[in-house]
Amino acid sequence: MTAVIEVSGLTKRFGGLTALEDVSLAAGAGKVVGIIGVNGAGKTTLMNCLCGIYRPDGGTIRIDGHDTTGRAPHEVARRGVGRTFQVPRVFGKMSLIDNLLVPVLSRDQPDAQLAAQAEAMLEQMRLIDLRHNFAEELSGGQQKLLEMGRMLMPDPRLVMLDEPFAGVHPQLCSFMIERIQAMAAAGKTVLLISHDLTSIYRLSDWLVAMNQGRIIAEGGVEDIRSNRDVIEAYLGA
Amino acid sequence: MTNPPSPLALADREHGDRVYRRLAALLGAAVTIYFVSVPLLGLNVAFHFYMMLWVTMATAFNITSGFSGYMPFGYVAFYGVGAFTTAVLVKKAGFAVFAALPVAGLAGVLLSLLFAPTLRLSGIYFAIVSLALAGICRLTIANLPETITGGSFGLQLGSRAEPIFAFYLMMLVMLAALASVLWLSRSRLGKALRAVRDDADAADMMGVNVGWVRLQGWMLAAFFPAVCGGVEAWYTNVVDTETAFNTLITTKTVIYAVAGGLGTVTGPVVGAIAMSWLDELVWRRFPLINLLILGVAVMLLVLFLPRGLVGTILRKRPQWRRLIP
Amino acid sequence: MTPLVLNGLVNGIIVGGLYALLGLSLSLLYGVLRVVNFAHGELVIGGSFLAYALFGALGLPPLFSLPLAALSFFAAGWCAYYLLIPRLSRSDDPETMSFLLMYGLSIALAATLLLLFGADSRSIDYSFSPISVAIGPVNVSTARVVALAVTVVITAAMGWFLFRTLPGKALRAATMNREAIQIVGVNIVRLSALAFALAFAIAGMTGVLIALVFPAFSPFSGGEYSIIGFIVIVLGGLGNPVGALIAGVFYGVAEQMATVFLPQALAQIVGFAILVGTILVRPTGLFGFRVLR
Repeated sequence: MTAVIEVSGLTKRFGGLTALEDVSLAAGAGKVVGIIGVNGAGKTTLMNCLCGIYRPDGGTIRIDGHDTTGRAPHEVARRGVGRTFQVPRVFGKMSLIDNLLVPVLSRDQPDAQLAAQAEAMLEQMRLIDLRHNFAEELSGGQQKLLEMGRMLMPDPRLVMLDEPFAGVHPQLCSFMIERIQAMAAAGKTVLLISHDLTSIYRLSDWLVAMNQGRIIAEGGVEDIRSNRDVIEAYLGA
Repeated sequence: MTNPPSPLALADREHGDRVYRRLAALLGAAVTIYFVSVPLLGLNVAFHFYMMLWVTMATAFNITSGFSGYMPFGYVAFYGVGAFTTAVLVKKAGFAVFAALPVAGLAGVLLSLLFAPTLRLSGIYFAIVSLALAGICRLTIANLPETITGGSFGLQLGSRAEPIFAFYLMMLVMLAALASVLWLSRSRLGKALRAVRDDADAADMMGVNVGWVRLQGWMLAAFFPAVCGGVEAWYTNVVDTETAFNTLITTKTVIYAVAGGLGTVTGPVVGAIAMSWLDELVWRRFPLINLLILGVAVMLLVLFLPRGLVGTILRKRPQWRRLIP
Repeated sequence: MTPLVLNGLVNGIIVGGLYALLGLSLSLLYGVLRVVNFAHGELVIGGSFLAYALFGALGLPPLFSLPLAALSFFAAGWCAYYLLIPRLSRSDDPETMSFLLMYGLSIALAATLLLLFGADSRSIDYSFSPISVAIGPVNVSTARVVALAVTVVITAAMGWFLFRTLPGKALRAATMNREAIQIVGVNIVRLSALAFALAFAIAGMTGVLIALVFPAFSPFSGGEYSIIGFIVIVLGGLGNPVGALIAGVFYGVAEQMATVFLPQALAQIVGFAILVGTILVRPTGLFGFRVLR
């Protein structure tokens, strides 16, 4: 099975601070990899390096076999990578439909077809009734769903979710879990950062625990839950 | 990963598109018919000429502010450059005004390219630098040799007072500007522009070429004021740095655009027409405190109607957004 | 150094002091309130006209107009704050809306001055005795020297206020982090009103001093002082009062030296060119913060 994403020896420093130290991981199609750790462990930094926001100081990133180390964000995106943020970054003064159209503006398909796809996506995300509203008029949870839908529009192979459940009420949480499971079922590779342990245990095929910029343990959910280092650093007794 | 289509939304969208197209056609027809008949019905040509000028200026300004998120407080620079280019070509090089205007527009675009490095600046820095650049333009032109730009006396175009001709020319320019913005608001460039306005980094990550998109919006927004300057020069037959680079031009443009509401096509049109009427009324009744009322009107607008007339209505009825051009 | 150059330098410092005050008051407004005061020049000229009116009506020497300007402008600023700003901070785009609001105010103020005083240039026919003072080989008008002295006093007073008193420190803290200062219990509304009123007061006094230093002023002079103010705060770094002071003096000297060495027309462009150049090359100014979009 060829890995969709392969990270090898990734290192990132900010001045004197080492945010990532020799991080390696790999994931194949249809797999959900959960990334856990305390605040400041380097999880978001890792994601930022993978999607091109930060240029790593060392190591390599390969997506579908192509070397994307240090490439600019839009180049990485073109390789079929999508990402959401801890605080949703929606286009506030644009309608929901227009928000969804932004990632596919350069596609050859006619406008009507793209609009139909956007509508279908909004229907799927249960936001269809608000499609003409401006994104800034949505609640925080709704904006997260919007961001997720927008990310899925170009049908990415690799999907990175940064704390999708943060500040979201339980019902919406379950709905999001459904959506993420659907993504994996459709063959996408999902990297997921979350502090919501219940959800991340439910979703993940593989867990990666980080602390102080390093991976301290990785394995199946049960293994990680009972791993002594992880318990000490993060989970608590 | 394909999702099942949404037939209700499709029907609704097609209906919405039909309504939009009809309203846009209605707007275009109403505007054309009204202004065509002004000279024919003996209405005040001068008043309507300037109304069309402000509609065009506010509409073009909307491209750079409403759609792109920039507030060029030195917007008059494009107007002044267009006015002088037209005057010099007509007076010194014997161009017909029809031929001079596109060149004036081009001059505006070239100037915008020169100013393009400022597009990476944020809000207030951009506004202030824009003001300074307009000042530099004005001073540079004022100090060019008298043989070229007429020094402090300016140039006379010798247009032999053909106001009706200039009037219809202005109408054509206005219609072109409205058509451009109508196209832009629904086009992919328009969406890209607005995405960049709202969150440039996020747009970048989604594959939008931020720099190129911004530049296109900027150039388009610079073309029309330059042409306006040229037409007005032809209409008044005189061009000098004090009037062609007068900051009041930017002021009125900004206020009229904001009064109607930035971000829609009808907003600046409504704003320019309403404020032109208000200005005329005030000027007739209270000629001395004209300027004071303008200033106070701006403050009241900002405090109580910050989204403009059209913008406030659309805030209350978001479903109308896709219907109103 | 030739007398001409020395003259330029001395006048540069005097004019620079005024520009420093301009920058200081503008900087206070931007730093604490994120308000870009496009009406600043008109406020300043309002101060000049106040001194002019008091001199004309009561024969009051300009120096005595200073405290009156300070008090009346302070009160005006306090009221203006409560009238204008709270609504503004509730809108979706306070920064843009504040430009437009102040733009409107600048037009309204210029129009008011126009109505009250007419469009002609005015000057205050007051002379000190002796009329001029010799500083080395250079003769400087006493009025200008007095203006410089007052500028220094005001600057020192503001410095003491900002660095030694509690409200002053609170103001400085507010320019650094608006949210944090509210969390520690400071009434941000009253503090902002204070900043607003103080900025107005300084602007008013600056106007009186301008009447002493520059030969004439009219209701339309406001615009050029606003631009100078912007140049100064951008050079000094937005929201940085100390930076503004230093930048003001630097700019004043640069401006006066430019008129010594360059033809008049070119000298005018120098100011704008410095502004544009600084922002594009070193956007944070000599001492400032975040600038790019």
